[in-house]
Amino acid sequence: MIRLENVTKIYGKDTAAVREASFDIPKNQFVFLVGPSGSGKSTLLRLMNRQEQPEFGDVWVAGRNINELPASRVPYLRRTMGNVFQDYKLLLNKTVFENVAFALEVIGKPRHVIERQVPTVLELVGLAGKRERFPEQLSGGEQQRVSIARAFVNRPLILLADEPTGNLDPTTSEGIMSLLDEINETGTTVVMATHDHRVVNAMRRRVIQLDNGVIVRDQERGVYE
Amino acid sequence: MFSRIGYALRETWASFRRNLTLTAAAILTSAVSLLLVGTTFLIQRAFENLLVQWRGDVEMIVFVRSDASAEQITLIDSVLRASPTIIDVSKLTYLNKAESYEEAKRIFVGDPVTLSLLTPESIPTQFKVVPLSDDPMLVRSLSDQYRTLPGVEAVALAEDEFQVISTLSNFIRVVTLVMSLVLLVVAVGLIWNTIRTAMFARRREIEVMKLVGATNWFIRVPFMLEGLLQGLLGGVVSCGGLWALNSAWSSGVAGFKPGTGISSLIVPNSYLTSVMLILLGIGAVVGAVGSAIAATRFLDV
Repeated sequence: MIRLENVTKIYGKDTAAVREASFDIPKNQFVFLVGPSGSGKSTLLRLMNRQEQPEFGDVWVAGRNINELPASRVPYLRRTMGNVFQDYKLLLNKTVFENVAFALEVIGKPRHVIERQVPTVLELVGLAGKRERFPEQLSGGEQQRVSIARAFVNRPLILLADEPTGNLDPTTSEGIMSLLDEINETGTTVVMATHDHRVVNAMRRRVIQLDNGVIVRDQERGVYE
Repeated sequence: MFSRIGYALRETWASFRRNLTLTAAAILTSAVSLLLVGTTFLIQRAFENLLVQWRGDVEMIVFVRSDASAEQITLIDSVLRASPTIIDVSKLTYLNKAESYEEAKRIFVGDPVTLSLLTPESIPTQFKVVPLSDDPMLVRSLSDQYRTLPGVEAVALAEDEFQVISTLSNFIRVVTLVMSLVLLVVAVGLIWNTIRTAMFARRREIEVMKLVGATNWFIRVPFMLEGLLQGLLGGVVSCGGLWALNSAWSSGVAGFKPGTGISSLIVPNSYLTSVMLILLGIGAVVGAVGSAIAATRFLDV
């Protein structure tokens, strides 16, 4: 589903954020990218949906080299991927329902599709009863659920999550992780960057560890260390 | 498709209300600059009425009595053609009664009293003379000579009558044109800035839109519509201003004594209408250009 071949990303003049990274993530896998802050986890995620382009190497998504994709096709690539962030990136002037509907609205989905899909996904994340609330009326965990609903509402092939539990307490994080696990069960490939030991150790999934932009470990059913 | 159009219009309107002060400033600036553009057009057209007789480097007009015989006219023509070194014979034109009357209708557009004294029968015909020589004294001495020919009613020299106005009209044209161009650039800049502010206010939304795969055009269009609307509204305001200005001027001119040149400085309504359409067009272009630059430049938020 996602393949990186000798990918190097350089910021500025000679600061390599990612160096010679290669790995292959098969369909339906759940992968943790771990490592300290600044080790290149977020950069890897940003390379996967072409928010960044590498100086060297190729990134393949769903059988296509996305670095050769013309800029006009990038939006269509992104429609196959959902994004979840540490700070949720919800729109504060919109309700829960509107936040999720927004993702469908701006890619031109008709009203009746929105009316059908948004309640279904809100049910999935357990927020069916709070669709008219505004983000500020929700707890952090609930806000992250809205953000996951928004990322998943279009049934993406891939879900990219950047520190989704970074602002949450352990119990809430557990809930979020089981939700991501559930989404993974539906056939969606999940790539999650984190430095949350507990989460990684509890899940026992593939772990790719980065240090200073270099992959130092790639282990099936790994722990954080 | 309809949901997309609906989305664009909703967003345009919402953003419009959000930035009311900046929007008002952008609209007013484009209105003022467009008003100046429109005024330039009108002044130009009004002066043209006054100068219509002298169009095409005509420096001297030989008016022929309306009761002159055909032989007298032929004689005048041959006398004029007898000085090919001073007169550009190829440009020598003769306006018959009908043509002269048509011209008079423009000159006396704001002076119906004088116009009513003229009929296509009683109007003098005229020879329009373009001199080759730059020497005004030479042209003047020729004119003295022509005055004495049988059938000639009068000889008018541009130098005496309208050279001052012609120079003045050129000067006003240049000044107003430069000023309106500068103001138009300011208007583009203000609209650009309004759209930039609108985009900055919505940078989170734009970021999310890009991440979920909205196309750049989808993100851009509401902003471009907003700019277009601002320019267009500026155009509408300027049209109102221009209409008021022209009405005030026309009614003011109507109070002048007939026979003075001022009464020629009137613009027909059909011309006013086409100037207004041009202003709306320029307004729309100004808005579209300003917002298009901003929307393309600041999409990476």
